[in-house]
Amino acid sequence: MVRKISKFLAKNILTIFLGCLLVIPVLVLLCNWISDFGNSAVSGLFKKDNLILIGKSFLLSGTASLLATSLGSVCGFILNKYTFAFKGFYKLVLLIPLLIPDYVYAVAWKDAWQLLFGAGTNINSYTTVIFVHILVFSPIAMLITGSAISQVNRGIEEAGLLMISFRKMLLKILIPIIRPSFTISFLLILIFSLSDFSVPAFFGVRTFTTEIFTQFSAFYNYQAAMGQSVFLLVICMILMFSESRYLSDAPFFAIHTKGSNPKLYNCDNLKFLLHSFLILQLLVAVILPVFILFFQSFSGSEFLLGKAWKLLSPTILQSSVLALSSAFIISVIGLWTSWLKEREKYKLPNTVLMILFIIPSTVLGIAIIGFFNKPVLNFIYASSLMIIIGYIGRFAFISARILGNGIRQIPLSLEEAATVAGIGSLRKYLKITLPLLIPSLFASFVLVFILCFGELGTTIMVYPPGTELMPVKFFTISANAPQALTSSMSLINFGIIISFIGTFYIIGRKVFKRFSYE
Amino acid sequence: MSSIQLNHITHSFNDKKVINDFTFTFDSGQTYCLLGPSGCGKTTILRLIAGLEVPQNGVIEIDGKIVTENDRLLIPPHKRGIGFVFQDLALWPHFSVFENIAFGLRESIREGSRKPDKGTKLYIEERVIQLLSFFGISDHWKKYPHQLSGGQKQMVAIARSLILNPKILLLDEPMANIDAQLKETIIDHLYTLHEQFGFTMIYVTHDHREAMHSNNTIIVLNKGEIITSGTREQIKNTTDVFTQSFIKL
Repeated sequence: MVRKISKFLAKNILTIFLGCLLVIPVLVLLCNWISDFGNSAVSGLFKKDNLILIGKSFLLSGTASLLATSLGSVCGFILNKYTFAFKGFYKLVLLIPLLIPDYVYAVAWKDAWQLLFGAGTNINSYTTVIFVHILVFSPIAMLITGSAISQVNRGIEEAGLLMISFRKMLLKILIPIIRPSFTISFLLILIFSLSDFSVPAFFGVRTFTTEIFTQFSAFYNYQAAMGQSVFLLVICMILMFSESRYLSDAPFFAIHTKGSNPKLYNCDNLKFLLHSFLILQLLVAVILPVFILFFQSFSGSEFLLGKAWKLLSPTILQSSVLALSSAFIISVIGLWTSWLKEREKYKLPNTVLMILFIIPSTVLGIAIIGFFNKPVLNFIYASSLMIIIGYIGRFAFISARILGNGIRQIPLSLEEAATVAGIGSLRKYLKITLPLLIPSLFASFVLVFILCFGELGTTIMVYPPGTELMPVKFFTISANAPQALTSSMSLINFGIIISFIGTFYIIGRKVFKRFSYE
Repeated sequence: MSSIQLNHITHSFNDKKVINDFTFTFDSGQTYCLLGPSGCGKTTILRLIAGLEVPQNGVIEIDGKIVTENDRLLIPPHKRGIGFVFQDLALWPHFSVFENIAFGLRESIREGSRKPDKGTKLYIEERVIQLLSFFGISDHWKKYPHQLSGGQKQMVAIARSLILNPKILLLDEPMANIDAQLKETIIDHLYTLHEQFGFTMIYVTHDHREAMHSNNTIIVLNKGEIITSGTREQIKNTTDVFTQSFIKL
């Protein structure tokens, strides 16, 4: 009986927890909207303005996703199929754009455009947003395609090479096998791009996500914001259900690819071409933005870097503490969810996290505010818990999938051997599964920490008074600050995140060495 | 039928020498068995012949034509007339049984001429059905690899390797992980086909009982070098200590 109860609790506490904190707020948003607006609610959705805006948003995000997926997949292919010098270096450095908040890139490229074409250039265009999104999100496709390629056993390709040419083998065997990775990449980038608030807001481009923020924060038109949120939510849901089969198992990236033995090719004839391609991407995605930020920061008559540091430094500690505690909580939720999905075949918490993940940031923010803004829940509404809840909704799915991949790599027989030896479930988990999962756990923690540290879309909606977080401070100051000051703040932001990445990289090397067991 | 000549082949992986000055001639239409402990270089020899690996040094000739010279691949794998059965079978997961077998033939016809017409389509079907019936798996032609048993997968992999009428058939531990009865059936099938088509057959095993099964020329390898070679009787009567101890194992 006790065993049954503990099993029931292990399965359902997490679902109840997620339900209360995040699912109910989203459902309440939906119900409120229907009850407030009655029958006119549905017709309001299909107003010409709404349809045009949603169409534009999808066109922008769809184009960015398509191009970012293509670029990232080519990089993933090159870096995982060919042997050449500095491959590890390229793999690492080309990931940087994914880890740096995208508004830093927006500032850098705004500066670049002004430097290249003059200060009066009209750069508030869709093209620039697409360009920045391609740079920032293409590493997602690089990771996912790379992970898929590494898992294709060499024999599969070699059996083809014995019958057909390399080019045909790629077209008829390798690409069809890894095709789901393109779909996952496209879908994830589409979700990230649709959900992104900061880049369109920075360039003054109207998208559905920025419009929700404007209605809510500038015009205090809660009903309009709610209606638009519901509209965007419904569209994202339709999109998700069409591909949920792929998305629920999205790899993001695999820490290990145990058992796989991928085929690598020499690229003697292509060496120059491959290096040129990768160096060009490195230049555009990493070196040039940093150089431009440096240039702009030091170009003014006064020392703006010092001023920027003075403005941002008080936020570093609070942002770090909040990101660290969120990363810890999210990793625990991810671990629990992935274990339930992979070992207990209980998929509900994973599905809940997936639904929350696809909800655009500002929509999630509105749902959380709407639900917790009640006297009885003021202890949550007035505290940093609001931000942590927002982060859980945004990033717990990523953690669950990284850890899910980690669990899949652990042979079931290891746990079965413990079962045969009479070891109980909890002890088996703590002594067998968990130690083997430490590298994945570390990777999940670091990624979530970096994402939380730079998150703006939900944070700007839900942060309570008295909380000073770096992304919010950056965004509010940059709205009215001279461009050189914004560049200086971006440079500091970039530097802080790179220092975190560097620190985690050093710790990570030790963790992986100690716990990889290979 | 093809003869294969390996001259002074040396090959390393990460500075570890796996094949050391290997010289041997595989005569046309004969069957050979590469026998040796794990990691002795058996699979690497097959992969070098197929062109899936390129040696650091040495020359490989097929029918007197140089296909690999030192670290240069002169003839790509698909132009060597080789059938290969991989240890993990390497069936294409996104193709059905029929497609797995037909794919190579269809592509080679496409490469040779234009799009396959009705006549060639019928020819492909006929060839695939012939092989499927020979291996007794005709009923499974629509299935995908994950829907097959281990033995059925093995049969599909062998059938696939034979679809292009190869002059050389290379088998990398083809009997690993299957039961004794099925092993007998597959070996019988292979020798029947060998008699029928006369291809040069080289197969790799670490099981000396399997190697002693038929009238193969057995080549005993250790640390990338030939220790001894000869017929079943010659190997049984060898005075070489390593071979004796390996066979006793």
